[in-house]
Amino acid sequence: MIVFSDILLSLTLLSVLLSLASNRLMTLVKIMAFQGIVVSLIPLFLEHHEGMAMGSILLLQVMILIKGFLIPGFIYVAVKKIKMQREIEPIVGYHASVFAGLIFILVSVFISDRIHISLPGEHVLLMITAITTLASGLFLLMSRRKAITQVIGYLMMENGIYLIGTALAKQTHTLYVVEFGVLLDLLVGIMIMGIVLHNINRTFDDVDTALLGQLKD
Amino acid sequence: MLEFTCLIPMFTGIIAMFLPVRFGRGILVVTALLHLQITILAWLGKVTPALPRYFSASPDGLLVLLVTSFIFLFISLYAVSYMSETEIASEPIYIGCTLFFMATMSMVALADHLIVLWIAIEATTLMSAPLIFLTRSKSALEATWKYVLICSVGIALALLGCFFIVLAMDIGNVHVPITFSSLGSVATQLDPMWLKAGFIFLVIGYGTKMGLAPMHTWLPDAHSEAPSPASALLSGALLNCAFLGVYRSHQLLYQAGLGDFSSNILIGFGLLSMLIAAVFIFNQTGYKRMLAYSSIENMGIIAFGVGIGGLATYGAMLHLIHHSLIKSSLFLSSGNILLGYGSKLISKTGNMAKVFPKTFIAFFAGFAGISGFPPFGIFVSELLIIIGAFQKGRSISISIFIFALILIFAGASRLVMKMSFGKWDDEILVDENMARVLPSYALLLTSIILCVWMPDSLYQTILSAIATIGGGLNG
Repeated sequence: MIVFSDILLSLTLLSVLLSLASNRLMTLVKIMAFQGIVVSLIPLFLEHHEGMAMGSILLLQVMILIKGFLIPGFIYVAVKKIKMQREIEPIVGYHASVFAGLIFILVSVFISDRIHISLPGEHVLLMITAITTLASGLFLLMSRRKAITQVIGYLMMENGIYLIGTALAKQTHTLYVVEFGVLLDLLVGIMIMGIVLHNINRTFDDVDTALLGQLKD
Repeated sequence: MLEFTCLIPMFTGIIAMFLPVRFGRGILVVTALLHLQITILAWLGKVTPALPRYFSASPDGLLVLLVTSFIFLFISLYAVSYMSETEIASEPIYIGCTLFFMATMSMVALADHLIVLWIAIEATTLMSAPLIFLTRSKSALEATWKYVLICSVGIALALLGCFFIVLAMDIGNVHVPITFSSLGSVATQLDPMWLKAGFIFLVIGYGTKMGLAPMHTWLPDAHSEAPSPASALLSGALLNCAFLGVYRSHQLLYQAGLGDFSSNILIGFGLLSMLIAAVFIFNQTGYKRMLAYSSIENMGIIAFGVGIGGLATYGAMLHLIHHSLIKSSLFLSSGNILLGYGSKLISKTGNMAKVFPKTFIAFFAGFAGISGFPPFGIFVSELLIIIGAFQKGRSISISIFIFALILIFAGASRLVMKMSFGKWDDEILVDENMARVLPSYALLLTSIILCVWMPDSLYQTILSAIATIGGGLNG
C-alpha cells in the first residue's frame, strides 16, 4: 500500500517537472489533467486514511471529477477557442525552469526534514512532493506570460495545497477542512471563464498578460 | 436570525438580476435600509445568530457590520443618482452583484468558524470581480485579472494557514469546534510552532485582500477602475472585512500567549504599507489611484495600531470607523468629478472650487479629514495611536509612522491643490446635483459627530472588542 502511494507521489513530482519544461499548451493541459487525477487519488493510499467513511469516498470521486476532468476540460476548451497552440514565451526559460524545479525539490527535502518531527505519519515523500508542487505552481504563475499558463500555475499550486492538507490530516475533522480546497477551483473556473467568455480574446490580439501593462505607476 | 443580514441581500440580489432597472434601484435602497435595521437590532441584542456553530455576534464583527451597513446605505443612495446620470453597462448585473457583495461581506463580519470566514472572504472576491469589470474597457479587464489572480493566490495561502491552525489543534490534542471563540478559550494548549506558521499564512492571505504592502499591487488598479460607488464599497467596506480576518488571527495568537510575535509582524506590515503608499502617492497621475494608495496607507495605520496594542488598539478601531466614513465619501465625490471632467487624470481636472463648489467642499473636507485634521475623527485616532506607541516605548516605529504621514500629506496635498485651484477652462460634461453630494456630506458629518459624541454602546463595543487583545484606554 505504502509503496503504491510512493509511486503516485513520484508521478506527481514527474508531472511537476514535465509541466515546467513543456512549451506547448495542449501538453500542459494533459499533464494537469493527469496530475489532478493522481493528486486526488493519493489520500486513498495513505496509511492513516485506511478506514475511510462513505462520505470521504464520495468526496474523493468528486475531487477526481473536478481536478482531473472538469477543470482541465474547461482549460482545453479555452485553448481551443482562442486558437493558441503555439509555444509560450516565458519570462524564465524552460531549462532554467526545470533547474528551478529541481532546486525546489532540494529545498522541500530540507524543509520537510526540519518539520517532520512534529508531523503525524511517516510520509516524508508526501511533504516533499506537496511543497515542491506548491512552489513550482507559484513559480509557473510568475514566470509565464500567458493568462492560461498562469491559471495552470495556480491550479498546480492548488494541488500542492491539497497535498499539504492531506499530509497534515490526522483526525476526522481535518479531513473535511482539506476538502474545502475544492472551492478554490471555483476561482479557477472564474478565471477560465474570464478568458473564454469575456473580452480577453477580443480585446487583445492574444492572451498575453504582457499586454496587460496599461496600469502602472 | 442574524443571518438575515446576508440572506436578505442575497435574495434581493437574485430578484434584482431579473427585474427591470427601475425596480432594481429601488431594491438597492430598500435592502440597504432593511440591512441597517437588522444590524441595529443586533446591536441592541434583539437578534442573535441562528447557527451558533458557524456564526457569532462578536463585538469586532458587529463593529465591522455596522460600519459596512451604514456606508452601504449612503453609497446606494448615491448609486441611484449616479446610475441615472451615466451609462452603466448591464445595470442589473451591477445592482445584483453589489447586493451579493454586501451579503458576502455581512457573512465575513458574522463568521466565527475558521472555514466559514475563509469561504466568505473568497466569496467577496468572486462577487466583487464583476463590479470592477463593469466598464468592460481594456484597463478594467486588466484590473480585474490582477485582482482575481492576486487575491486568489492570497486566498489559497490563507487556506494553508487554516490547515496549519487545525494541525496545531491536532498536535495539542484539542477537540473543540474550529471556531475562533472556542479556539480562544483553549488557545494555550495549541501547538505554538504551527500556530505561528498558520498566523503568517493567514496574514499574508487576508493581508493581500486588505491591501497590505507588498501584496497590495492589485488595489490601486481595482479601486480606480471600478465605478465610483463600487470603489467606495471596496475601499470602505471590503478592506475592513479582510482586516477582520487578520484581526481574528492576531486575537487567537494573543490568547495563546504569542502576542509579541504577531504584533511585530503586524507592525512591520503596517509600516511597510505606509511607506510604500507614501512613495507611490507622490507622483500619482490619477485621483482615484491617489485615493486607493491612501487606503493602503490607512490599512497600514490600522495594522500598526493593532500591533502596538494598548491605547493604540482603541485608536486603530476608531481609525477603522472613520477611514471607512471619510474614504467612501471621498470616492463618492470622485465619482462626481469623473462625471464632470470625464477623465480620471489629475492633469485633466482643475479649478474645482469654481466649477463644482458643492463637490469641492466634500472632496476638500474629505481630504482634510483623511490627512488627520480636526474636527474629523482621524485626527483623534491617529493621535491615540501615536500616544499609545509612545506609552509602549516604540520610538523607532513611531518616527517612521510620523515620517510616512507627513510624506503622504505632502504628496497628496500637492495633487489636491492642483485639482481644486489649478487652471482649467474647458466645458463640464455633467453638472453636480444635490442627490450626489448629500451622501458625501452625510458621511463626513457622521465622522465629525462621532468625534464629539459617541453613543455609549459603540464605545462599549469597541472596548470589549479590543479587550481580547489586551487593548484598553489605560494602556
